[in-house]
Amino acid sequence: MANTLRLYLKCIRNTLDAALCLQNFPCQEVERHNKPEVELKIGYAVAASLQDLLDQPRTSVESCASLNLMASMVLICRNEAEKCLIETSINSLRISLKVKQADELENILTKKFLRFLSMRAEAFQVLRRKPVQGYDISFLITNYHCEEMQKHKLIDFIVQFMEASFDIDKEISELKLSVNTRGRLVATEFLKQFV
Amino acid sequence: MAAVAVHQFAECITCHAWSPDQSMVALCPNNNEVHIYMLSQDKWEKIHTLQKHDQIISGIDWSARSNRIVTVSHDRNSYVWNLEEAVWEPTLVILRLNRAALCVQWSPKENKFAVGSGAKTVCICYYEQENNWWVSKLIRKKHNSSVTGVAWHPNNILLATTSTDGKCRVFSTFIKGVDRRDSVMGSSADAKFGEQIVQLDLSFCWAFGVKWSPSGNSLAYVGHNSTIYFVDDVGPSPLAQNVAFRDLPLRDVLFVSERMAIGVGFDCNPMVFASDESGIWCFVRFLDERKTISSSKYGSQFSEAFGKLYGQSKHGVTNDAVEPSRSRGGIHENCINCIVPLNKAGNSRRTRFSTSGLDGKVVIWDLENQEDLSIYL
Repeated sequence: MANTLRLYLKCIRNTLDAALCLQNFPCQEVERHNKPEVELKIGYAVAASLQDLLDQPRTSVESCASLNLMASMVLICRNEAEKCLIETSINSLRISLKVKQADELENILTKKFLRFLSMRAEAFQVLRRKPVQGYDISFLITNYHCEEMQKHKLIDFIVQFMEASFDIDKEISELKLSVNTRGRLVATEFLKQFV
Repeated sequence: MAAVAVHQFAECITCHAWSPDQSMVALCPNNNEVHIYMLSQDKWEKIHTLQKHDQIISGIDWSARSNRIVTVSHDRNSYVWNLEEAVWEPTLVILRLNRAALCVQWSPKENKFAVGSGAKTVCICYYEQENNWWVSKLIRKKHNSSVTGVAWHPNNILLATTSTDGKCRVFSTFIKGVDRRDSVMGSSADAKFGEQIVQLDLSFCWAFGVKWSPSGNSLAYVGHNSTIYFVDDVGPSPLAQNVAFRDLPLRDVLFVSERMAIGVGFDCNPMVFASDESGIWCFVRFLDERKTISSSKYGSQFSEAFGKLYGQSKHGVTNDAVEPSRSRGGIHENCINCIVPLNKAGNSRRTRFSTSGLDGKVVIWDLENQEDLSIYL
């Protein structure tokens, strides 16, 4: 396997090892809630509406925006097309991947393939149902996962998934070939009637 | 071995506390119950289950003299449990919080306890004889984020707190009718309730686990950026030291003597910090023996390189790309989040303490026969 990939995965592994220091932490904005803080950030508007719903003071929404429960995010890029974003908060971590897509066909194939996985998110436990905008697939790890599972196995799972996703590359290029062949066949068959 | 005893009580333990004579342990198995275990004939048996909370319990403290247990939970309530004829009777404490309670500690005289909360406030609760209930007084508008740790100064008045805004603060908790002025010394003598004595802004990340040294001269707390902070001369002009280390961040800290502190956290292995003659703190070593020592690491690196030259086909492609991460190989297998001193009666030296973590184990450690550490005790 390519040396750059090895470095890329090693970097991700080490970053995850440092970032996966999560703890149970109840929401300090909404009463009796305990939700992943990392989701609260993009859900800022949602939080605001929740605040309205629960009739809580506006000022606490502002302090929600101060994001003091978020750690700085890490972006690891192998090249322009392949990157990995790790966002950490006090009780949750979100890791988003972008897989290489050379052309439109690959784009469609990757989307379909990863959608197939995302639809089965329950089976994977840590898989997020919807990827973060700009990425192809996202994982959401909360403190509950860290309590139930061993941390190093969790990291192994993510890294092995990424490794496998480079086998996906291979699979996708095979799919691309078969799509092209099929397209050519269909076109020939279709055009035969005009001959 | 520094670890004297290891007990697997549950899948996951959020916090634990020991009875005054250390024959019983109260722990929360990551749910809304407190289980009390007693040691009988070398076996731990569950003798009580305290059920009153309806969310996960975040803090337990067992008072040494009055034999009372205080518990706080994410359901915003606190209970004080009294043992009456072999039954633990709960008393609800109205904390007047609107967010989860996160931590609790009895004051040294056991007439008050402090609760840190996600509502950015600290509650100081004291018993009111005439009404027969616990009254909660709040320290408001001082913290910018959740209060993650509280610690009482031995003088029963000063309270140190840590918060997720990265600051450590010291307050006066003087309550008229409960405390007497003559028990307080120094500059904090005439401070009112809730007055901030000092604010330490050393960490730019979340702060946890504040503790005072036995004499109350210095305090220590940890930051989530893998740093531990030691503060001497707590008062108007504190002296602070930051000790950064290369391992994962800590969750809690405990002074075993004026010159030695134990930190526990995400590295699953207690870390020993000590100060030399000039008062400079530094990291000494891990308390638990690790299975990977540096000399063998060199060996493995060498053999790895050797393998690359000769036996690449043996490993296969995936093995070569990513070596699976090893488990840490210590006694604790997951994050340690609680460290509690174990004081033998009549022995002023704090050489024994216990730790519990997300792996559900309670481990008792003894520093007595650790030769290299005995100079710091």
